[in-house]
Formats: sequence, structure tokens, C-alpha cells
Amino acid sequence: MQQLPLEGIRIVDFTAVWAGPHVTQWMAVMGAEVIKIESNLRPDMTRSFFSNVNTNLTMSAEYSGLNCGKKACTLNMTLPKARELVKELIKVSDIVTENFGGSVMDRWELGYSDLKKIKPDIIMYSGSGFGRTGPYKEFPAYAGIVEAFGGLCSLNGYPGGEPLPMATFGYADITSAEHGAFAILAALHHRSKTGEGQYVDLSMTEVVSCLLYEQIMDYTMNDRVQGLQGNWNSTMAPHSCYRCQGDDEWVAIAVSNDEEWKAFCYTIGNPEWTMDERFRDGLNRLKNQEELDRLIEEWTKNHTHYEVMEVLQKAGVMAGPTLKVAEVVQDRHLGERGFFIDVGHPDVGTVRFPRLPWRLSEGPQGNYEQPPRLGEHNDYVFAELLHLSKEEMARLQEEQVIF
Amino acid sequence: MTMQALSGLKVVEWCEFISGPYCGKLLADLGAEVIKIERPGLGDKARSHGPFPQDIPHPEKSGTFLYLNTNKLGVTLNVRSTTGAEIFKQLVKQADILVENNPPREVEELGFNYESLKKLNPRLVMTSITPFGQTGPYRDYKSCDLISFHVSGMAYINPSCGVDDIEQKPPLRGSENQSGLVAGLSGAIATMSAIFASHATGLGQHVDISEQEALANVMRITLGTYALEDVAWTRYRPVPLSEIYHCNDGLVYMVLDQDKTWLSWVEAMGNPEWAMSELFQDQVSRRENRDAGKMLIEEWTKEHTVDEVVRAAEARRIPCKAVNTVKESFSSELLADRGYFVEVDHTAAGKFQYPGAPCKLSLTPWRVERPAPLLGQHNEDVFCGRLGYTRQDLVTMRAQGAI
Repeated sequence: MQQLPLEGIRIVDFTAVWAGPHVTQWMAVMGAEVIKIESNLRPDMTRSFFSNVNTNLTMSAEYSGLNCGKKACTLNMTLPKARELVKELIKVSDIVTENFGGSVMDRWELGYSDLKKIKPDIIMYSGSGFGRTGPYKEFPAYAGIVEAFGGLCSLNGYPGGEPLPMATFGYADITSAEHGAFAILAALHHRSKTGEGQYVDLSMTEVVSCLLYEQIMDYTMNDRVQGLQGNWNSTMAPHSCYRCQGDDEWVAIAVSNDEEWKAFCYTIGNPEWTMDERFRDGLNRLKNQEELDRLIEEWTKNHTHYEVMEVLQKAGVMAGPTLKVAEVVQDRHLGERGFFIDVGHPDVGTVRFPRLPWRLSEGPQGNYEQPPRLGEHNDYVFAELLHLSKEEMARLQEEQVIF
Repeated sequence: MTMQALSGLKVVEWCEFISGPYCGKLLADLGAEVIKIERPGLGDKARSHGPFPQDIPHPEKSGTFLYLNTNKLGVTLNVRSTTGAEIFKQLVKQADILVENNPPREVEELGFNYESLKKLNPRLVMTSITPFGQTGPYRDYKSCDLISFHVSGMAYINPSCGVDDIEQKPPLRGSENQSGLVAGLSGAIATMSAIFASHATGLGQHVDISEQEALANVMRITLGTYALEDVAWTRYRPVPLSEIYHCNDGLVYMVLDQDKTWLSWVEAMGNPEWAMSELFQDQVSRRENRDAGKMLIEEWTKEHTVDEVVRAAEARRIPCKAVNTVKESFSSELLADRGYFVEVDHTAAGKFQYPGAPCKLSLTPWRVERPAPLLGQHNEDVFCGRLGYTRQDLVTMRAQGAI
């Protein structure tokens, strides 16, 4: 039986909310044993994030979608005894991850310099909004804050309008988490060659700046500050999103050269306006794109978004439906590729979650076990890994160390 | 040269534009040896994509190409010629990793699909990054940043708030280039996981990355909320007062999603009477009355500067930052203190500041050892130095259009 790539790697995971748990979500799916450290005093706050409909869920969608395949134990980290136990756990682990809003780990004497003393080859990952050094190191952050500060909001909006947040679905959280997961794998690779561990310090603001390389290079080269482009592009037209048949249905179309433009015109039946001087070449199409967009919409609104994609793609023109949330789940292409997986859920049986965009030709397809309940793996962690007796565990529970 | 995290890994990059090159860059910036293959003559199409210094197009001065190809060796190769195909195979034989982002059908037609290449090199990890992946009904469809953003479902829920009339405001692509970057990032993680798998088995495999899935993953919380709670988000999603607020000289983004932060902010505003009303008494009511709340908060923030609002919020540990342009984030004390930007000196393009490390590794730091290659800059190093061709062979191959 082939194993998952990270089997045998153990992670002590202090992360919570979105950005941290998505790092360890990748690691867990790829086979690492991820042990979440929480307590009744400090559960991962996404467990109880208010939900719009069913407020009785013990596991919210947010928690479930980011914690598959992990284990969970409860330790009251405010007590010295809990910190001692966690050190014992770290001694038999490979990686420690955290994303606190400030230097909590240092205050617990679990900073990298402390951890290195007890486990010299440990890899420690800190994810934060602004980095673990510098003037903002103690500031709490959310993805929206980082997106605003880093310039992403200033580039998200309709032409002539105002910056708008992409915030509430955590774009900076997920993309930072992925850069973090990659960095951890690189650090593990180095450890496998040399036996050396290290400290990984990820600042979400810096990730956002990498993602805005084009606008930053334009600024450093030309002192130019790019504005809002909406669905447009500085070199292609048509290049936008058009109304289709139905309620709030849309399709995106992009034409990148004259050949595609000809194919586009032919496919929609060569209406008169496609011969118009105003649209004869790329430069003119860009200059007159508002009018162009209006005319294209006259055509698209008589078709469904999927129809437009099929007919244009067959002609070699880039087009794709603006999928709504439900349509993503039902999309036949994603369905055929098995992008969604039914994950067990303690309250509702099974839930259809997206897998990670991780697909290897050989071996098992990832660990998507049911996300753990609070403290579900206390016996495993304290008895099996740390060899505590039943009596010791009972005593620690009474003292609210395991709590 | 000190060792870097991925020193010793040999990568061949047969890619254009953003997705594959970003994957290659992530590997190269941490020390992998990446040999980038470009078409003779024009090279990577990123070379014709701006920004260019003073807006003067030049294939060696594209900001996009310069950023995405640091630390790589560049060779030219016409893989459609007999000699070019032969050299390509020799490079693949010596490599640990092949990253490619070509249309799947073209790769098959050339005989460079994984099934063929693994016969030459069973250890090879081949990572294919394409708009829709290697399987499924849309496999051969074309895409670009706009289309991928829309078919992933991201555009339909963007912007996350601030759209009062959903009918008049179409779904929105976010800041440009994100589709390719996110796909390349997922590719880099998956590639490293396949390297770990090969440690155990001695065998490589095919990594199949779909840009559509990589972006859909970013909205996994939204997809999870739909699956678990049957709530499908749209472009207007009232969040309890976590949004952009107007000040008298700009915008801030502030998160007031918890009782604690809300109450501190009310205090910061001098405890206005309206804030005590039952319209704002808890999270649910603040979400329901979001429009009124935002208007009333803005009455206060519009009387103050961005700096004043940010300081008032941060003094109370309320997450809040200015909505910056990239110029403002580039010039921030934070990124200066963290030493984020790096100056890169390129023979043809000159010296410019580039975005730096997405993540800081303490022992094996990210660094720019060499700027992006000139077109065919390392032909001699690679073809003569590693594959044993003579300089005279190179002359012949150039005349034949193979390199």
C-alpha cells in the first residue's frame, strides 16, 4: 500500500481561524499527523462562528472546511503544567505551527529559541498579518485588513468607482496559508538533507505584495499607480462579463487577438456592428469597449452562460460562465474530476466539501477524515503519545490542565 | 554559495506567462536549479507583457517577466524540431521535476505526456498546470485570468460587500493576475509533496493542477457554508460592520465583528447615543442593520483623518488599517523595517525594486542570486556544459532553428 507523502510527520498545531488552519489542512490532507491544541477556554473560534441558519451546529462550515483529517486535544495553556506537557509533545514532533495575534508563544516560553532547546531540529511556522518582527508585530489582523493595507483593495472594484473589499472570504488568508505550506515543505526538504530545523516567519502583507507584483513593478519602474480595472484588461477587448438569460446570470468573454475576434464575430452570426470601424482592430476595440460591451450583451442575454461558453470555446474563443456558488458544486467538469468529496460530519452525517487542488497520479488521494470534535483525541495524545496513566490523566483533568 | 532549502533539486520549466513560471519561481527562489525553456525568437509571452520602463516595449525589460523569472537559467529550444525534442528529452532525463503549463492536447501530440516521459526518467515529478486540468469535459478549453476567476465561482461573490444594486453591478474579477498565481502556488505545494513521496518510493508521478480548482479552493469557506448551511453567498453579504469607511482624507478598513471590538469602538467615538440603541445591541442586529450602522459610523470617521481613525482603533486593539494604494504600501515603514523589497540589477533592464520573499526562512533564506535570464542566455552553459554539445553544434542548431 502506498502511503501519503507526509506520513510520519507530526505537527503540533496552535493555529486557529482561517489562515493557520488552511496551512495545516494542506499538511493533513497530504498525510501529516496534525494535532490541534485547543481548550474549552480557547477553542478554535471558527467552531462556533455564528452561522446564518443552523446555530446549533457544534461545527460550523468554516471550521469543518479547514480541519479535515486533523486530530484535536485540549490543554489549558495558561497553566505551567500544560506548557510542560506540550513541550513533551513537541519533543516527539516535527513541526510547530501558530498564528496568534502577537507574541503569545514567546510569553508561553514556546518561541523558536525555546523550542530549539528541547527539539533541535524542530521547524516552527508563524503566520501573522504583518510578520513577527517590525513595528506591527503585535497587531491583530484579518485578511481584509491586510488586503487593504497591502493595496489589494485599491485594485478591486469597478472602473471609476471606489475600492471594494474582497475581504470576507479570506483571500489573503488562503493565499498566505498556501505560501506557508510551501515554505514548510521546503524547510522539511532541507531538514531531510541536513537534519537542520528552522524558523519560518510569514507576513500576510508580504504575500499580498508578491501577488501584486505587476502593479508594484509598474510603480517602481514608472512611478505609476494603477487604478480599478473591473473586468477589463489593458490589452484585450472585448474582455468582460455579460448578462445572460436568467436571473443574475453572467458569462465572461475574452478576445486576445484579431483571429479570435473574427472567430467571435462569425460565431455570433456576424451582426452588422462587428464590421464597424470602431471595432476593426485591438486598439479600437479597447478605445470603444463600453459600446462594444453593450452590443455583446445584446447577444449574450439571449443565451445561457453555459451555452455561450460551449459555442465560443468550440470556435477557439475564451469564454466561461460566472458560476454561482451552487453552480460550482454542480458543475459537470468539476464533478467529473471529483473535486468535491463527501466528508463525515458529526451533526449532519456527511457534507460535500471541495478537496484541495492537489491531485497526484499515484497513491491515495488524501486524508479527508471527519474534522475532530474539541478534545476528541485526548486519549491518543496523552496516553499513547505521552504515556500518561489513566490516573494521571484524571488528575490533570481535575486540575483543568487537560481542559 | 551557502546551501538553500531546495538546493540540489533540478527543475525544467516548460512554461509561459504566469501560472507555471510562478511555480518555477517559488522553487528557484529557494535554491532549486530551474532551467527555463523558451521558444527561439519571441520567448515567453510574458516578455511582451508590461509594465516596461517608460512604456517602451522591449523583450528584456518586461516587469512581468523580470519578476516571475528570477534565479532561473534561460535556454531557447524549439521542442517541435527533431533536435529540439531530443534535447528536451535529455534535459528531462536529468531532472527531478518538470513543470509545464501547455495545452494538454499539444503536450500529447509532441509525445511529452507523462506516460512517455516517465519511461525516460521514472523518478520524474511532472507538474502540469492548466486552466481546467488534465481530465474532464473542459480539459481543452482556453482560459485567461478573467475566465478562470469567473468559472471558479470567485467573481460571482466579489466584491464581498459595498454593492447596493446587485443588478447594476456585475460579478467582478479581483485584482489582475491572481488566477495564474494561485494555480502556480498550488502547483509548487503539490510538486514538493510528490518529491516527498518519491523519497519513499524512488518513483515520480504526474501532478495535475487545474486553475479552476485552485481558485475554487480559495473560496472553500463559501462552498462549505453552502454545503453545510444551504446559504449561497452573493456580491452583497452583510457582515456586522467589517468594511471600508470613509474618512476626511481617504479610506480605512475596520473589523468590528465581535462584541468586544464593537464596544471599544463605540467608546472611541465618544459613546454616541445611537450606538446604544437596540438596533446595534448584538452581532445579529448589527448585521441586520449594517447599512444604518455604517452610515452612522461614517458620520464620525468623516470628521477624522485616516491616521486618526487608525490610531484610535489600534489603541483599542481593533483591527484597522488604511486602504492603501501599492505606492503607499511600498512606502510603508512596515515593509521597510522588514527589509521586504529587494533591488535587482538586470543587464538590460537596469536596477529596480522587486517584491521580496513571501515568507522568511531563518536558516535558508529566500534570495535573488541572479536576475531573470536574457533570452537564451544560458544556452551554452546548459547545452555544452551539461549535455556535452560543442559550440559548433550550437551554431548548427541555431541555424536550423532548433535553439
